[in-house]
Amino acid sequence: MVFENEGYDVTIAASCDEALKVLSNGMSFDAVITDLNMEREDIGLEVARAAIKRQPKPAIVICTGFASMENSRESLKMGVDYMAHKPVELTALISALNRLISRKQDMRGRR
Amino acid sequence: MALVVHPDMSTVSGLQSALSGKGFTTIVARDLPTALLAMTQHYFEIAIVSAHLHENGDGWPLAGVLHLVFPKAFVAVIAPHEPDILTLQSAINYGVREIYQQSAPAQDVVESVLAQVEPGSSGRQSSSVQ
Repeated sequence: MVFENEGYDVTIAASCDEALKVLSNGMSFDAVITDLNMEREDIGLEVARAAIKRQPKPAIVICTGFASMENSRESLKMGVDYMAHKPVELTALISALNRLISRKQDMRGRR
Repeated sequence: MALVVHPDMSTVSGLQSALSGKGFTTIVARDLPTALLAMTQHYFEIAIVSAHLHENGDGWPLAGVLHLVFPKAFVAVIAPHEPDILTLQSAINYGVREIYQQSAPAQDVVESVLAQVEPGSSGRQSSSVQ
């Protein structure tokens, strides 16, 4: 709802499994926003990992209330673009998302 | 081409020497204005920035700006202590690729950076902006 109000078309996945299916069906996304803990702890990293492999790579945002040294290090290592700790400040998240998407579009345009 | 921004002369020298040894042209800056000046004059593939330039944490926004200006650059931050969760979050959100501790030897930092830099990066000589 929040992102739709910002003008984005939003596809929802209710689990990691569902997100992986959506990501593998060929649809193109400007951004992938995922929670970390879904079916199990830190499984959101699998969504991020799958999203990173997409070309063009979408902006990848993780929202979590359970940040740990391990999942934060892994997120940094794999190239997650933004990590929001819950309670998520929506204004900051939307601003980051708009910036990340604009930047990626700008980079694609320059090629 | 590489940019090293650190207020400590011995750290700057060590990183410059290690990067030059690997064939990278290295520009060094010990403060924010000099770093910004260098950014207007060169295109960087690597940037290693101290988290502390003039005040605690003021190196982070510079790292973020470097990431915005040079989106393909490998931007690393040298932090005074072992990173905690909030430091890692800052690194992710500023587009920093790696955090090194101040105590890490320059040679190790440079080898780690080069191991992660995308292929095709290259440099030649070394020069300083003061």
